[in-house]
Amino acid sequence: MSCTVHIPSPLRSYTAGALKVPADGTTLEEVLASLEGRFTGIRFRLVDEQSRIRPHIRFYVNAREAQELSAPVGTSDTVHVICALTGG
Amino acid sequence: MTLCANERARYRRHLSLPEIGPSGQQRLKDTRVLVVGTGGLGCPAALYLAAAGIGTLGLVDFDRVELSNLQRQVLFGTEDLGQLKVEAARRRLLALNPEIAVLTHALTLRADNVCEVIEGYDIVLDGSDRLSTRYLVNDACVLLGRPLVTAAIHRFEGQAMTYIPGLGPCYRCLFPQVEEGAVASCAEAGVLGVLPGVLGTIQANEAIKIAAGIGAPLIGRLLSYDALELSFTELPVSRRHDCRVCGEHPQITAPRDIGPACDTETLAARRLSAIDLRDLLASAESAGPPLVLIDVREPREFAARHLEGARNIPLRELESRLAEFAGAGDPVFLCRSGHRSLLACAIAWRAGIAAPGHLEGGLLAWAAEVDADFEVASD
Repeated sequence: MSCTVHIPSPLRSYTAGALKVPADGTTLEEVLASLEGRFTGIRFRLVDEQSRIRPHIRFYVNAREAQELSAPVGTSDTVHVICALTGG
Repeated sequence: MTLCANERARYRRHLSLPEIGPSGQQRLKDTRVLVVGTGGLGCPAALYLAAAGIGTLGLVDFDRVELSNLQRQVLFGTEDLGQLKVEAARRRLLALNPEIAVLTHALTLRADNVCEVIEGYDIVLDGSDRLSTRYLVNDACVLLGRPLVTAAIHRFEGQAMTYIPGLGPCYRCLFPQVEEGAVASCAEAGVLGVLPGVLGTIQANEAIKIAAGIGAPLIGRLLSYDALELSFTELPVSRRHDCRVCGEHPQITAPRDIGPACDTETLAARRLSAIDLRDLLASAESAGPPLVLIDVREPREFAARHLEGARNIPLRELESRLAEFAGAGDPVFLCRSGHRSLLACAIAWRAGIAAPGHLEGGLLAWAAEVDADFEVASD
């Protein structure tokens, strides 16, 4: 069973333009691994080499912020990835 | 100053609203709003604020109107091409509503002038297109105790949030630090023309609510809008106790310039003036080390005119194409104004290239200082 991940605009080049993609996992870390398996390179845009969430990225699971990659993700949950935007 | 007969007629639809009425309209008239950036966001925001009767509007922008602006910057017309944006905007806004005052600030906000500008206003709207300006304006608003309505756009997506001093998180609470090169600008990625219209009017709506003292501002709520899905998502944002500017032990006690890209990456960049680059190219032709010119503009801009010997790798592709020139010599990145090229330096530096260089002021500086016949395409 999978959750749904909302991909922010700056990272949709990894998902062939898809705004929402399914991913597997029971934690945010596993969800990111699932995404990486399908969209190579996307994980590194979200977390750094030390697996820290990058400072211009925020994760929300069902509209609640997840500050750790160990945050649980349930079946049918919605994960929002928010990325700082620069345009004006 | 009370509302005159003309104003009562002009704002009749506001006066009919119990939530605004004559006293609310008077509050709008007594309010001074600063719009930072008269671009995609600032244009619709200023247009609606002027129409609504905000008594004093300030406009900050150093740029001039270009043809590529007109797809979304609705204050300007073809006849305004080449003119200072703030002056063209002022004419348009006063034509719409001569009852208001429009003040212009044709300058770049920096640490040494941002407080002086913002101090003259009650509410600030940030529609700038540089992260460095976003942080500078945020920090100044926190330090001066001014409400800030921030918004940003990218392709089909937009975000907005409101900061009210003492009541909620600021922009640094939302994104403590951003590597500017990590996110492509609209110049590189494109933007749906109508998108800033949606977000800019949301900013104007927030400013009017704050000025009139009505409704619930977007405090601690990040509004994310997707134009393709036509969906609005609201996500909570908490104040960070360790925020560097509004936290319990703030490290930022005065505005400071952080450069167009943040922190250490860009410090490693070799900043070349147009004259420096001309001299370097001349010495490389004789016996100097090889110089690798990488033009990081979009292919359309590159095709219009480029420096001889430069190769085109758009900034958005740079990270994946670094191997194409690694080891060939010291790269010097070029773009239109020096903004994208500095971001390219940050990307190259992070990838292990020791001494990336960039042309400060971009090809516009080259045209101004070295080759007056060099025409630089708009971005």
